[in-house]
Amino acid sequence: MDNSLKTVALRKSFGKSLLYTLPMFLITFMFITGGKPNFSDPASGLAMLTVFLLVNVLYFSMHFTGKTDKYRAILFIIFAMSLSYTLIHNMLQVRQSMSFSQADILECKIPFCHLVIPMMILPAAFTKSIIFPGSIIGGFANISSMVVLWVIATIVLGRGFCSWGCFYGGWDDGFSRLRKRRVIKNISELWKWMPFAVLIMVMLSAALTLMPTYCSWICPFKAVTEFEKVTSVESATKAGIFLSLFGGLVIALPVMTKKRTQCSFLCPLGAINSLSNKITPFTVKIDKNSCNECFKCVEVCPLFAITREDVKKGNVSLFCSKCGKCVDACSRKAIHYGIKGIPAGTMKNFSRNLFLFVSFLFMAIFSSGSIISTFQGLFKLIF
Amino acid sequence: MKNVRIIAGICWAIAGLILIIILFPGLNSFSVSFSKLPFMKLNPRYTGGEIATQLISEKCTLDIRKPVFSGLLKERNSGFVQLDWHGTVPGIIKDSIDYDNDGKKDFCIEVNRAKSESGIQLYNSKVKKILISTPASYGWAVRVGLSKE
Repeated sequence: MDNSLKTVALRKSFGKSLLYTLPMFLITFMFITGGKPNFSDPASGLAMLTVFLLVNVLYFSMHFTGKTDKYRAILFIIFAMSLSYTLIHNMLQVRQSMSFSQADILECKIPFCHLVIPMMILPAAFTKSIIFPGSIIGGFANISSMVVLWVIATIVLGRGFCSWGCFYGGWDDGFSRLRKRRVIKNISELWKWMPFAVLIMVMLSAALTLMPTYCSWICPFKAVTEFEKVTSVESATKAGIFLSLFGGLVIALPVMTKKRTQCSFLCPLGAINSLSNKITPFTVKIDKNSCNECFKCVEVCPLFAITREDVKKGNVSLFCSKCGKCVDACSRKAIHYGIKGIPAGTMKNFSRNLFLFVSFLFMAIFSSGSIISTFQGLFKLIF
Repeated sequence: MKNVRIIAGICWAIAGLILIIILFPGLNSFSVSFSKLPFMKLNPRYTGGEIATQLISEKCTLDIRKPVFSGLLKERNSGFVQLDWHGTVPGIIKDSIDYDNDGKKDFCIEVNRAKSESGIQLYNSKVKKILISTPASYGWAVRVGLSKE
């Protein structure tokens, strides 16, 4: 191991960081304000301005400090919380309740989320139809838009979607950061294959019953979005499962393990996203020449995506969500963002700059609507 | 060969960048195009099926939908028929239904909307029970369980 190898500085000067932020500044200005900032409603205008500044300050900080994960996580966690706030606020206004009724199901008024996608595949192939009581096109969170967003984001980012686009991931990401040290240290890495088992189970059960079984019975995020009105033993059991899984996998275990346990052990879409890592242009690479095998990356990875064996081989597994935690933790910058085809250890800055622009742009635009709506609500409360 | 791989990788990454940049402005048109794909329609288990008969009275219309038995590979033995009352729906609904259009009444449904109580009288052994009876934004909806045999 050559310890005299220079590490590549990812930190940029203030001016250079500003220059790198300029394209993000212009594009997010167009998307967030529509090109014409409107301050006729002060709360709405202020919310828009705050979100615009927030995303650009975070992106600037990524370049200026050379760190990724901390600034990504800030927006990611705000996104998760604001999406839940927006959805709950919307439901309380429309339905006066967080629960949906049988009429909402019969009238196909349930907002669609990307976690339904694995269950849609087999029924769509065999019955040429979608097994979800939502709107195909038009209205809030319609099926077409959500599928298109997910497909394109997944082709480009692979499992990066789980750390840069998923509006649920921020919950367990947030809770996994609350404690400084882990309480539970030894978790078998075999558990990381669990999402594939869940994926197979929900795909088959959804195909057999023509029902989105994961949403109906398992999804922990029903606890912070919407759930079936409790009117029977069955609906009470479901509510109990949602709350238990949220409490266990999204709050308690992430706090104790400092890992994103819901994403690592349960999410069936995460399993599909892992497979999509095979086609995405962006990846995380290990430069074996620079690596001193301190295994800090193994320790900090929130998704069990790097093992000691992976480090020795110089590969990151398909579970990687490109969150940047390992990249930030590596003192020698041996682990870095890369582009497929480019050998590890080369063009580190170029690869990082391109990946950050693509992934952060996606998250900034995708999240801005719900964050603006949340800030608007907060400003109206304060002022 | 190494350079070809590098160039291919960079081209693929730049294509990804372009995809993300055009994704949001183009989302509406992409979604509309996607929604036209053959499988992009809701399963009848969710829509309630196509309207088979409409019974129009003075102020209220009753839609009797086609029975739904949809399954993954073939039709199932058990299914349902959905009835939708819309317009000015009376406080007490009482209708006899011929769901299979054979000229014979198959069941009689009675709903007290104020008390949210529903009852059914069965005239056909294929008709099972009320699965759902609920107020809807357009009036009232009922799903009645059916079997094929």
